[in-house]
Amino acid sequence: MEVFLNLVISGIMVGSIYALVALGWVLIYKCSGVLNLAMGELTLIGAYVCLSLYTWFVRPIGQPTLAFLLALAGTLVIGACLGLLTERFFLRRMIGEPVLSVIMVTVGLSFFFKGVVEFIWGTDTRVFTPEVFSKKPIPLMGNIYLDSVYLWSFVASIILLIVFVSFFKYTRWGLAMQATADDEMAALSLGVSAKFVYALAWAIAFMAAGVGGTLLGNVNGINISVGYLGLLVLPAVVLGGLNSVPGAIVGGIIIGVLQNLADGYLSQFTPGGVKEVAPLAFMVILLLFKPYGLWGWERIERV
Amino acid sequence: MSWLPCGIYHEHYRQDHAWWQTPFVRGKMLFLGLGIFVLLPFFDLISPDFGPYLLNVLVILLYTILAAMGVQLLIGFCGQVTLGHAAFVAVGAYTAALVLMHGPELARMTEVSNPLLALLVGICKLGVKAGLLYPAAIILAGLTAGLWCVLFGLPSAKVKGFYLIMTTIAAQWITVEFFITQYVSQIGGRAQAFSIMPDNFAIGPLVIDSDKKVYFLGVVLVLLLTAAMANLLRSKPGRAWIAIRDNDIAAEAMGVNIVTYKLLAFFVAGAMGGVAGVYWLNYNYIVSPEHFQWFWSLWWVGVILIGGVGSIHGTIFGSMFMVFVLEGLKFALIPLGDVFPQLLDRFLFIKEAVFGLAIALFLIYEPNGLAYRWWQLKNYFNLWPFSY
Repeated sequence: MEVFLNLVISGIMVGSIYALVALGWVLIYKCSGVLNLAMGELTLIGAYVCLSLYTWFVRPIGQPTLAFLLALAGTLVIGACLGLLTERFFLRRMIGEPVLSVIMVTVGLSFFFKGVVEFIWGTDTRVFTPEVFSKKPIPLMGNIYLDSVYLWSFVASIILLIVFVSFFKYTRWGLAMQATADDEMAALSLGVSAKFVYALAWAIAFMAAGVGGTLLGNVNGINISVGYLGLLVLPAVVLGGLNSVPGAIVGGIIIGVLQNLADGYLSQFTPGGVKEVAPLAFMVILLLFKPYGLWGWERIERV
Repeated sequence: MSWLPCGIYHEHYRQDHAWWQTPFVRGKMLFLGLGIFVLLPFFDLISPDFGPYLLNVLVILLYTILAAMGVQLLIGFCGQVTLGHAAFVAVGAYTAALVLMHGPELARMTEVSNPLLALLVGICKLGVKAGLLYPAAIILAGLTAGLWCVLFGLPSAKVKGFYLIMTTIAAQWITVEFFITQYVSQIGGRAQAFSIMPDNFAIGPLVIDSDKKVYFLGVVLVLLLTAAMANLLRSKPGRAWIAIRDNDIAAEAMGVNIVTYKLLAFFVAGAMGGVAGVYWLNYNYIVSPEHFQWFWSLWWVGVILIGGVGSIHGTIFGSMFMVFVLEGLKFALIPLGDVFPQLLDRFLFIKEAVFGLAIALFLIYEPNGLAYRWWQLKNYFNLWPFSY
């Protein structure tokens, strides 16, 4: 039971990071209909940018927490700029093109980003030095422990999730995005600029992915495999339903838990690799029985 | 596609459906054949330095064509997007590797009590003696990879578009990262890579163990597969696939059994991938899960997008573009390497970035691919000097 609870709790914590990245994914899909396969590379860029800023800041500032917060803010700004540029130069030209072409443009972008990141930062694993979060486990109750990194990542992603959700609900820009996602034609006729909304969606996705990558990088260190996060987002969004923001959050957390449970209980039966494959295998089964996920819209097609 | 010259009229459907309809085209094909069978492989007689290198690049080109052809069939002609074809190529390669590793071992066995095993040993003995083990391995690899591909094509009965893409991505990770890395690679207690003795690659009396022979095998395989695909596409299954690609609901309403034909497409595409895998094995004599990373699945999709979706020669153009341009990139960077040594150290990453950028830019500026350009070029000369 303790093992189970431990697995579930750390699964929820990791899942909240997935949820954050999945939120960015769903946002792009809802607003502009782009199925983004470059999400993993966006997290990579965010993680590396934050790491570089942190190593720059930490010496003159001296205090790791403050330096990290500054670096995170810098990552958000740089991420937003990169998102705007990506949308302007690549995705805006693809509006109205067939789905496969748009997907493959994002695949191309993912290679481009990955190549650039590897070229600049190399492939060695890097860690945040000095550590931002202490590695000492926090006792929850009984024998259940929690790494403080996970706890802070969880808190950070919950805060960001709340910020993003209230952004959509209460601000002018967020409402414009919701309107575009709901009915693009109607939104256009009411004076909402679709271009602006697309650009905003990409900027937010870059920011969310960047934060997700940074948090995950604090847990395991940063190397190219952080980009695997982009792949884990896919089961999460399929589970939640492609066009549902709450679905992305719930899906991300469920996938995190599922991955941890599979790792804890199934890996003794196999030589290894269960942790990476379990979410994807789960997704295939899900697609066979419930392809539109928990809250996705079922599309009815006519000739 | 291209127009016939004035004064040529077809009187039979046979003429209408012929691949090469005019003497000019037949002459062109003769020259192409001369180039492929004589000039390119024997280039080392003209230039001993460049020839072997050229042959190497050409073998990689042939492998790319073989692997991308299945992707082209699925994406370009049946509309079922696959982003995990490396999995099926890997299944083919590993099947052949297992057959070629264990076949000769079985054939050496004596005094077998189990009748089933005895039958197997007998078959292997016959196969090794007649040099049929390798052809049998090719066929078996195709079948296995095809069936494996059908397994992951099953969701296509229910979902399509993006959801199907998800399944094929999952196929890649489940097959290569899990199944092959963790289980198949461990067979026989060997670590990671399988290596095969070159003399096992025998078709009858002919042992395919030199670059030149591998090249000719590749040419034969590419010709066979291209011909098979072209013929499939002008027969009933091909027309059903194209109908499904254009509008699956309409195709169903017209009486095409879309599930059967989708699965058939997956089978054929997987089988082509499997054959490509065997070819890779024959080229390297070694096979490891690292040869079939997700990168390669996306690479082959990139090949057909650059070459042109829905065209057989587009696959070939795309492969040529990818292989030659990225080889050329290496030469372009060598002079710069003196100034920036980093460029050469990290060439792999530059290659990746350039590949990604090439796909994105091709899709934005030339969505119809190189095959469309080729068509335009041909039309220009067909109409010359009265082009508009």
